[in-house]
Amino acid sequence: MEQPLIQARDLTRVYQKDGTMGVQALKGVSLEIGKGEFVALVGASGSGKSTLMNLLGCLDRPTSGNVVLDGREVSGLDEDDLAEVRSRTIGFVFQSFNLLPRTSALENVELPLLYTDRSDLAGPARAALQVVGFPADRVDHHPGELSGGQQQRVAIARALVNDPEILFADEPTGNLDSQSSEEIMALFAELNRQGRTVVVVTHDAEVAAYAQRVITMQDGRIVSDEKNPSAPEARP
Amino acid sequence: MKIRRMMGQALRGLNRNRLRTFFMMTGIAVGITVLTVVLSAGMGARERIMERVRVFGLENMMVWAGGSTDQTRMGGGSEEGSTVTATMKMEDAEAIRAQVQGVREVAPFFRGGQAEVRWRDRTFTAPVFGVTPEWADVWDWYVDRGSFISYEDNEIMARTAAIGPTVVRELFGDEDPMGEIIQVGGVPFEITGIMLEKGASAGGGDMDNRVFVPLSTYMRRVANVDYLSGIRVQVQGIRDMEPAAADIAALLQERHNIAPGVPDDFRVTTPTEVTSMVEEMQGTFNLFLILVAGIALVVGGVVVANIMLLSVSERRGEIGLRKAVGGKARHIQGQFLAESVAVTFLGGVGGVLLGMAGNLIMERVTGTPALVTWHVLAAGIVFSSVVGLLAGFYPARKAAAMAPVDALR
Repeated sequence: MEQPLIQARDLTRVYQKDGTMGVQALKGVSLEIGKGEFVALVGASGSGKSTLMNLLGCLDRPTSGNVVLDGREVSGLDEDDLAEVRSRTIGFVFQSFNLLPRTSALENVELPLLYTDRSDLAGPARAALQVVGFPADRVDHHPGELSGGQQQRVAIARALVNDPEILFADEPTGNLDSQSSEEIMALFAELNRQGRTVVVVTHDAEVAAYAQRVITMQDGRIVSDEKNPSAPEARP
Repeated sequence: MKIRRMMGQALRGLNRNRLRTFFMMTGIAVGITVLTVVLSAGMGARERIMERVRVFGLENMMVWAGGSTDQTRMGGGSEEGSTVTATMKMEDAEAIRAQVQGVREVAPFFRGGQAEVRWRDRTFTAPVFGVTPEWADVWDWYVDRGSFISYEDNEIMARTAAIGPTVVRELFGDEDPMGEIIQVGGVPFEITGIMLEKGASAGGGDMDNRVFVPLSTYMRRVANVDYLSGIRVQVQGIRDMEPAAADIAALLQERHNIAPGVPDDFRVTTPTEVTSMVEEMQGTFNLFLILVAGIALVVGGVVVANIMLLSVSERRGEIGLRKAVGGKARHIQGQFLAESVAVTFLGGVGGVLLGMAGNLIMERVTGTPALVTWHVLAAGIVFSSVVGLLAGFYPARKAAAMAPVDALR
């Protein structure tokens, strides 16, 4: 069997607060995600889904347990090596877009390239904007001049610009109207069809419906992990 | 990440937060403005003093009749603070000329202080000097028209006078003074020469208000004395100054029969003394300058450090994002440090420009020229950049140490 792209074993994460008893956000989570999957992590607020995404996405380190990404154990890496992994392997999309203000769409997309040794920034950035269907005549506009849907497309282009294996999205439609939400989710589905592994964290059932596999979390544990029969056509 | 790219990011970061950038730049610019103004004023003051030393003449010394006082004089000054004695004679000047090595020119003189000078119904109070022709050479100061006091004038005790441009203006206005008769202390003198403009003396007074008459005439016919006020001595080279001064002192002690341990009845003032006094003043001034500039820059640095800290906590989201997309701790640290240095560098440039404008205003108001040299400009810009580096260090480290997941929350 092909090795899974993401392999997590017995992950726990305790948030220490003011020296008191810590809050255990994850209580031993194991899962595997294969190449090319489209996974939705769902659950109520506080269920631990965002914590899990942060650990899988190398933004945070587990209190115990380990994560293997693409065959590489990442739990023991130092900050700089984790930054390297994030740069090469992972793209993030956030609920609030996290675009730099007063900075053009193009420059926002160029940002991840600054931390690589690439010398051409504009070329890949334009290409990524094209992939996400961002209008070419607006690449010089600042986020403040763009609609929510357009801003999220810029954020997705930024996540794609380093051509990562995995795309993580944390409530990507949380700040969008229903029309834009549908367009953005359709874009994720399309990117997945092109071979990209996509992990979306959401509490919205309509968003989860786009995924082929829905992992439900509750109280720091996975309570269900099911194939989604209503999902759009999976990759052949 | 390349330096150029890092600077680009820093400048964009500053541009995104213009108000904060403005406050930081102002904080530094004020400090650098103060630094520039004070430094320029100080260099200007020093230059002015050195200019006076040059007027005094670097190859000239003054041998004053009268014991030493605390007051160091630079020639042509007042008699205040000194005790005039009647022991300095014409023969002393001759002896110096004949016996002291390295002496080029000896100019004995008598100054009787302020005297009333009258022409027709106009009067003017001027310092009157009895001099010999050497006076013109040792001061490098000659007549504009006519002739200076000559040897012959001294021999025959002629009643001739050479007057400064200020005297001409005050007494004669637009009329031609050549050949006119003026009364000096009630004695008539014919004007035979008009001096070139000399400007301010080493002591700061007007040198152009003087009246020069033959030394012998003044001593015998006006003041009725047989002693000199002093002797101005010019040496052949600056190197001859100290030995000649020592020899003159020894010679005069011998001639005046001054026993060891007894105070001298004369004083020798050399430019070395004057310059060392200037250096001493400069040292005090430099200390003051360092203090003022230090305080101004510390205040500026504290402002920058504070605002940078504020900026770091306010831009957590940006920091988290940069880390999430692959930025390493050193990239983040470098960016914030670059922002801090860029803002203080620009503030420094602004401060230097403001300081130069301040200097112009100061010049207009006080009339004393400030001296702006490249030292001042370089000091302003270098100091401000160093302050930026120091002030930005802690905030930048704090930014770099943020965990991406915390910063993104």
